[in-house]
Amino acid sequence: MTPQPTPVSAAVQTLAPWQSYICHACGYIYNEAEGDPDSGLAAGTRFTDIPEDWACPLCGVTKSDFELYEAPSLDALRAQASDCATAWTNTSRSAHGVTIVGAGRAGWQLAEALRARDSTIPITIVTACAGDVYDKPLLSVALARRIAPEKLIKETGAAAARRLKLRLLPHTQAVRICRETRQLRTTRGTLRYDQLVLAHGAKASLPPALPAALCWRINHLGAYLKLREALGDAATTGPKDVLIVGAGLIGSELANDLALGGHRVTLLDVQPEPLARWHADKAGAQVLQAWKDLSIRFVGEVKVASVERLALDAERLWQPQPAGTACAGQTTRLRITTECGQHFAADEVIVAAGLQTPSRLAQSAGLAWQNGIAVEPQTLRTSDERIHAMGDCITLDGQASRFIEPIARQARTIAAAITACEPVPYEPKATVIRVKTTSMPLTLH
Amino acid sequence: MNAADLPPELAQPATPGLIDAVRSIAQGSLAGRAYAIDRGAYPVDLLKQLAAAGAMSAHLEKADGTPGDYGLAILAMAEAAKVCGATGFMMWCQCVAGLYLQASGNPALTGERLARHVRGETLGGTGLSNPMKSFAQIESLLLKATPVDGGYVVNGVLPWVSNLAPDHYFGAIAAVQTDGPGASREMMFMLRCNAPGVTLKACPEFSGMEGTGTFSVHCKDLIVGADDIVADPAKPTIARIRGCFVLLQCGIAAGIIQGAIDSMWAVEGQLGHVNQFLEDRPADLQAEFDALAGRILKLAETPFDTSTDYFIDVLDARAHGAELCLRAANSALMHQGARGYLMGSEVQRRVREAQFVAIVTPAIKHLRKEIARLSAEEMPA
Repeated sequence: MTPQPTPVSAAVQTLAPWQSYICHACGYIYNEAEGDPDSGLAAGTRFTDIPEDWACPLCGVTKSDFELYEAPSLDALRAQASDCATAWTNTSRSAHGVTIVGAGRAGWQLAEALRARDSTIPITIVTACAGDVYDKPLLSVALARRIAPEKLIKETGAAAARRLKLRLLPHTQAVRICRETRQLRTTRGTLRYDQLVLAHGAKASLPPALPAALCWRINHLGAYLKLREALGDAATTGPKDVLIVGAGLIGSELANDLALGGHRVTLLDVQPEPLARWHADKAGAQVLQAWKDLSIRFVGEVKVASVERLALDAERLWQPQPAGTACAGQTTRLRITTECGQHFAADEVIVAAGLQTPSRLAQSAGLAWQNGIAVEPQTLRTSDERIHAMGDCITLDGQASRFIEPIARQARTIAAAITACEPVPYEPKATVIRVKTTSMPLTLH
Repeated sequence: MNAADLPPELAQPATPGLIDAVRSIAQGSLAGRAYAIDRGAYPVDLLKQLAAAGAMSAHLEKADGTPGDYGLAILAMAEAAKVCGATGFMMWCQCVAGLYLQASGNPALTGERLARHVRGETLGGTGLSNPMKSFAQIESLLLKATPVDGGYVVNGVLPWVSNLAPDHYFGAIAAVQTDGPGASREMMFMLRCNAPGVTLKACPEFSGMEGTGTFSVHCKDLIVGADDIVADPAKPTIARIRGCFVLLQCGIAAGIIQGAIDSMWAVEGQLGHVNQFLEDRPADLQAEFDALAGRILKLAETPFDTSTDYFIDVLDARAHGAELCLRAANSALMHQGARGYLMGSEVQRRVREAQFVAIVTPAIKHLRKEIARLSAEEMPA
């Protein structure tokens, strides 16, 4: 039973501003000032006074499927929409220019090289990330060098796009290449290209036993920033227990940096020592020596079998619960179990188990594939004459080389080919690796 | 999409009978009624005739266990949609209703009820627009089911369900109302339009596709018993058939695109001298469409693939179909000029049909949002 309105409350209601209510199902807006005369609701009928059996005049759902609606300001909506670029389909027969997939170092270096050679060629960059310009190697040393997360961005994607007079489509997935019609299908529309360059990099591998919702993979700025947020600052919120799976280059560098940042690190690998790929250089022995005063525990010759989130109230009982069921705001620990039956507990788990090139785009275009996008060594051209590829996603004779140094040279080679300048043949060469284990940096060949 | 237009390995020479039968109905009695259907005449006799010819059941598993042929079902739908997009859409409704009945594994649905559905003696549709958007985190579920002895009591309203009449039925999903903690659950059932508590209400007038038997469905204390349950919980079944659901829709787009291209060629003799100045010429559109049709028929070979990559490919093919529909229908109007702009012209009607393909669930924007969601790398929260 509804209480009878007092004269005062009735007067207050009469004076209250008119409100609007929106239909969940079809988006129809009921405006109290206008009413719904076709259904017998006079102008000025308050939503609360509408009979329960009234139906949406557009789609027929009932009153309970409506909710209060406050029209957002048009300016706010415009500002929000301008952050979201769209790929208009250019159906005219003019030049479509170069489309680059990926806005990591490879994508931006190519854009710079192209713009240096040709001030007018249309360039579009499509990227799944925000497109901000940053130096990936810094992700391994940011804590030790006390670089604040927001300082990692050298130039925002929007600013770089303005400077280079190109169109950037951030937060946009490239879905398929239609070779016959030279179209790149994306989640913000379809782009036509004259030349396409794949610079989308590689993705961190995740062994099937490890759940994605519980394990970080640090291969780009976006994921790194979220990890930093989850870890907090050891000095103010206390150190965290971090378990890193994989003691290769990335795993070892991250272990070093997180330990210098005040966290307690456990580093696991299937090999008996870290950096086992460089056993001949005695790299493992050297880093273990460098780490002797740091909070890094290395456990070799183990393979992780499972990672589970422990139930909050039963943590001491080692009671696992299904992934993703932890309540918001409550942090529970993770339990890591190895195939040989050892258990470890951690606040965060990072998996650094190598990289893999995603095959979707290359496969959709039927490009030659050899552990990655196979390119011709001197020209970096794929098996399609209008598609080049560079950076972490390519292989030369089946070999990937995922380092920084070759990228600028690759960009010069491709830019010269696209702008029809004198060819600049690419020269593959062995890369010197600097291991950024700050306390005792190593140089490996 | 003519079988003859396709690469030889994708053409379906094994069963030319069905496509011929559909073509003869489509270009015979359907052609003369397409305008009336668009304006509001629901063609129940034609739909029963098409179903009886096997046009809405080629995709279903045969009694002897032979898998259904999704490519053939799509080609049959396209053959009708070339002439009338609304009819192609209603064929899709009947196709997926049959899929739900068969996928239920419920003897009360897979026996005589499925057989009568396949023979076209009874017709049905699908009310999964809202649940599909709900699973893609676009909106929340509109039907609520309260468990009772022997079944559920369902309440709520679904806007815009098609291929309905008082003696029809459709697949629906309701959120199960459970007390206390525990994972939320949905259940899927066949909703009979003549069951007590169900009211069909007319929708406001749309700009086209008016003869599709589209109503809003109001459920007031509808009792759903075990005989009508398709899947409980619903999600595993949806995960298995979602690819089929979206892939079959490609048949509507395919027909509309080919119809539009054919109408461009129809005026090429007289108007080619001016039409040469237009973009999206018929040969260009045909080349793009043939490549897309090849992709669709390739995907149709493995409709029950539940991998994320496969589903992204299906969503993208469906989006490409809708985008090409819009371009082809619009370009056909440019090619035909004033005669295509006449209210009674198929060319004008096809523009509205193409717009329907682009906005019906999953609309182009929903498809892209879902592809983006499925492509994102999952990380700890």
